[in-house]
Amino acid sequence: MNVDALIAYVMNTPLSWIIITLSAYKIGIIIYEKTGKNALLQPIVIAYVIMLPILLLAKIPYKQYFDSVFILHFFLGPATVALALPLYKNLKLIQSYFLPILITLVFGGIFTILSAVGILWLFDASKITMLSMTTKSVTAPITLITAHDIGANAALAIGFVVITGLLGALFGTFIFKLLKIKHDAAKGFALGLISHAVGTARAFEISENAAAFSALAMGLVGVFIAVVLPIVIGFL
Amino acid sequence: MLHGILTLILFQFVGECISKLFMLKIPGAIIGMVLLLLFLMIRKGSFHALDNAVFWLLRYLPLFIIPAAAGIITQFETISNELLAILASLIVGTFLALAFSVKLMDVLISSKERK
Repeated sequence: MNVDALIAYVMNTPLSWIIITLSAYKIGIIIYEKTGKNALLQPIVIAYVIMLPILLLAKIPYKQYFDSVFILHFFLGPATVALALPLYKNLKLIQSYFLPILITLVFGGIFTILSAVGILWLFDASKITMLSMTTKSVTAPITLITAHDIGANAALAIGFVVITGLLGALFGTFIFKLLKIKHDAAKGFALGLISHAVGTARAFEISENAAAFSALAMGLVGVFIAVVLPIVIGFL
Repeated sequence: MLHGILTLILFQFVGECISKLFMLKIPGAIIGMVLLLLFLMIRKGSFHALDNAVFWLLRYLPLFIIPAAAGIITQFETISNELLAILASLIVGTFLALAFSVKLMDVLISSKERK
């Protein structure tokens, strides 16, 4: 037996990190389903909680981890293109409320960026934090492919995206009661606009109609911000 | 399934090529997504091969984010230095943006339906 060779293999093969990452996500799915699909217990949040201590304890350089699990990262590009399908299926909803959707998309999309970056500016935060905050309401794959182009830190940006999703799902019901919101279409659209996929998961708990508007908003705001933001930041 | 994956990667590839060729600041995958959307709108009918691939990719989408998201282990210094600003921005910003968007849309729909 060659125990040293075994240890060297386990420490260096990408398989180890792929197994750990897939397992962490699988545990996340199990907990999410066991808790009745609570929008706040997203599998990725649980995977995060499991993965981070392991990465820190293993003292693995981040680049080595990233290279080991690059095969997962690769699928983000095709997955972004795939977002066209849910967008296509919900596109007919635009006809029913064309102007409300267009106006809310543009003003809500700009408002979510300016309010978050404005607060950071008041606190005198660093430029990289502000840039990473601009994509907080965009669905994660679009955030990642945009982050590089706008000079943001991808990991910070993703952290902000995940937390914004959770907060939107958390605040939703309270805000809708407080402001006496009447239309499910408005509730769903706002949830998808501000809190992307987590908001859409939350909208499913309101109604099918809310979820459809949420999915529509998520796709539209993703394209809107990904197209406009790099151009605006290029001028700054 | 393979047909669907191939279709998605081809659209991404064409999007990236267009982005490079015209020196656009829009990410190639976004251009690919818009092209696929236009393709589906022109084609109108269903596209079953695409359905399977899309279902699989979107189902596991959060998993594909983990490699990049784990990079947070290199950012603890930035986060601890600016923790208050980041928390205020996320909590207050998200609350205000959600309240603003939902009220705006609700008022717009109500005024449209009164007409």
